[in-house]
Amino acid sequence: MLEAFISGFWQVLSWPAFGYLLVGIGIGFWVGLLPGIGGLATLALMLPFSYTIKTPIEAFCFLLGMLAVTGTTGDLTSILFGIPGESSSAALILDGYPMSKKGEAGRALGAAIMSSLLGATIGALSLAISIPIMRPLVLLFGSPELFIITLMGITFIGTLAGASLIKGLLAGGVGLMLASIGVDPQTGALRYTFGALYLWDGLDVTPVVVGMFAIPEIIDLAVRGTSISNAPKEKLKGVMEGVKDTFRHFWLVVRCSLIGVYFGVLPVLGANVAQWIAYGHAARGLKDKSRAGKGAVEGVLGPGAANNSTRGGDLIPTIAFGIPGSASMALLLGALLIVGLQPGPEMLKSRLDVTFAMVWILIISNIIVAGISFLILNHLAALTFIRGSLLIPFLLVLVFIGSFTANNSIYDLIVTVLFGTLGYCMLLNGWPRPPLVLGLILGKIGENYLWISTAAYGGKWLAFPSVLILIAITIAVVAYPTIKERRGRAKYDRPEDAV
Amino acid sequence: MLNVLSRGARPSSFKVLSSLLLQLLFFITAAPLFAQDFYKGKTVTIIVGTKAGDAYDLYPRLMAEFLPKYIPGKPNMIVQNMPGAASMIAANNVYNIAKPDGLTLGAIYPALYFDQLSKKPEVRFDWSKFNFIGAPIVSNHLLYMRSDAPYKSVDDIKNATTPPKCGSNGTTSTGYWLPKLLEEVIGTKFDIVVGYQSGSDVDLAVERGEVQCRAFTITAWFAREPFITWRKTGFANVLFQTGSKRDARLKDPPTIYELMDKYKATPTGRRLTTVALASGDFGRPIVFGPKVPADRVKLFRDAFEKMIKDPIYLAEADKRKLEIDPIDGQRLQKIAQEVIAASPEVVERMKKLMGAE
Repeated sequence: MLEAFISGFWQVLSWPAFGYLLVGIGIGFWVGLLPGIGGLATLALMLPFSYTIKTPIEAFCFLLGMLAVTGTTGDLTSILFGIPGESSSAALILDGYPMSKKGEAGRALGAAIMSSLLGATIGALSLAISIPIMRPLVLLFGSPELFIITLMGITFIGTLAGASLIKGLLAGGVGLMLASIGVDPQTGALRYTFGALYLWDGLDVTPVVVGMFAIPEIIDLAVRGTSISNAPKEKLKGVMEGVKDTFRHFWLVVRCSLIGVYFGVLPVLGANVAQWIAYGHAARGLKDKSRAGKGAVEGVLGPGAANNSTRGGDLIPTIAFGIPGSASMALLLGALLIVGLQPGPEMLKSRLDVTFAMVWILIISNIIVAGISFLILNHLAALTFIRGSLLIPFLLVLVFIGSFTANNSIYDLIVTVLFGTLGYCMLLNGWPRPPLVLGLILGKIGENYLWISTAAYGGKWLAFPSVLILIAITIAVVAYPTIKERRGRAKYDRPEDAV
Repeated sequence: MLNVLSRGARPSSFKVLSSLLLQLLFFITAAPLFAQDFYKGKTVTIIVGTKAGDAYDLYPRLMAEFLPKYIPGKPNMIVQNMPGAASMIAANNVYNIAKPDGLTLGAIYPALYFDQLSKKPEVRFDWSKFNFIGAPIVSNHLLYMRSDAPYKSVDDIKNATTPPKCGSNGTTSTGYWLPKLLEEVIGTKFDIVVGYQSGSDVDLAVERGEVQCRAFTITAWFAREPFITWRKTGFANVLFQTGSKRDARLKDPPTIYELMDKYKATPTGRRLTTVALASGDFGRPIVFGPKVPADRVKLFRDAFEKMIKDPIYLAEADKRKLEIDPIDGQRLQKIAQEVIAASPEVVERMKKLMGAE
């Protein structure tokens, strides 16, 4: 096994594989930066180019290298402009963009890059470590277990609610309701489609997220009439500060990376969900809760690490069974077949070197992109000091191109504008937006797993030991901070009572 | 006659007639020329009803590279993805919105006519009026069953007290309607668990033992994992197949037609089977909208015929792991007319298959 591990490393660094890796990284870098245009669509478009590549490792250097960096550079756009560079980077806006407004863009970017690198490495290592136990690991989670995990995700709505729990829960409820739009997968009935074919597949997350988060920030920028950063333009520094932050909160980053891996392994869930859970986890750990959403660096580190580590987790079911864990993995699987490699059990035996090469690609491409980013971070951060009126037209174009790529439909733009308006109203009136997005993402998944569980097992699944354990964990996760807080307050209260 | 000519006073019926004749002659000979000139320097768009990277997208992308070679004037050919509503958005667009000038092709789902038959109000096309150019592959289906389940054959399912659980990713997918079809025509019960995100998720659920069976294409069964391992280890067996005769690689499982003979299916049941399984014949159809000039349709059908036999095309398809088993446009046209002419009785039972009732 060690032999394959080392062989994988050298094969990635050999020529022309390394050249392909660089090309992939180059493309992924820009794709990540541009909002909306996701790794998935780019992967699909780049797939034909991989037909001419001869060996599996070379093809993977190109495709996986590209995919691996989109998450990292997507974070940069979220932080700098408040526009999600990828839909899996939206959670970084919550604290990253306020940091830019405070003039701490450099620090936020440094933290995002470093936590991404750490997250990707942990994701890749998890992939490597789990190779011997991959198959049982994936089979551990059936639909009933996945339903409870989805429920656990939904409880994070409370954590993401911010100042007002009621408003948060209501927003989450609206999100869950919006998730029911589209063809009902159980009976084929059309729900809330109002005769529009566009709504058959439900609301696409990309235009909703881009509209919700980007449009209000752009309006705000226009209203303020200043540059993104309110702080005076001093000598830009802080990138190293962000790097140090990553190590100051090392265990937070590790925990959030593991959250990412975990959600990556689970089918259907993934980076889109993991980022919010990681953000919720980070925000919950803040000693001073009022810092959340106002530029706390922890809120950048958590999702930054999680959305990168999912890539490693994502690969696990793909390799172990030849069954893709996500849409982008399905495309990678297609590429594997073309270069003459059957994913599945063979990848764990005769072609173990390819599997380990994937681990190396994830790590090396993130190291390279971190290196490149550090060279240009100061220039990127300087963008936040450009006058808003110069920036807005450019940002608007990016926003609409980004959301249009979801379905190439004019309705994508309408959805963006509608949710942009809704988002702005919510922002003005102090309603939290993340619960709505999380509700939208998890609603459909949860509903499906509930139906499948019931159809497959009747009511029996509720008594499965695994389900009971997960329910207990969910309750613990929900109750623990409250109990801890109460206890803390009790200790604090007592002397007061005595007085 | 001569008199008339020599007089020349009346620009007579002859002149009119002859000029008409000339014009007619000109049209007859020049029509193909027109079509040929027409495509020079033009761009043909293939509207694909799925997202980029889907299997329904890969065939048209390959076609866009090869088909122009066989069209006089060698037009450019590009792919535009218009995903949504199981490609109905694309079908409606090609039928109604695209100009009928022969510059817009559609690559749509083969089972869309189910929606027309079950009278979904969103359907804005008449399936039989599409101009079918051809399909690079026809697909027959099979149903696999975990071998540790107590159902070794269709007989076992028919006699079982608890029906097997088959997984599916939606009511329009083969995983749903094929077991339903068997239930309709020979009375075998299935519990269909719907709602999985994709076909791959169903396979994973079968590995886990959550469900026991799934219906899908024969091509996939032989092309990829996890099925390669399953076939090797005997993890799952095929219980029946849908081709008119048994697939060369599947000698043992009976065809649905053999099953219908064995269990004495009713004539309506048989007609229902024909209508439902025609979707397999449509494969991955390429179509023009209804009012495209006939000569341009013919040009494309001919080009498609030539392309599908081109060894370079076949080699490239093989490299991309795209199986080729083509059917020509004229035959598709005929099948389309047949399925749309289905009797109301068949249509009613069809609705049941589609979960509409």
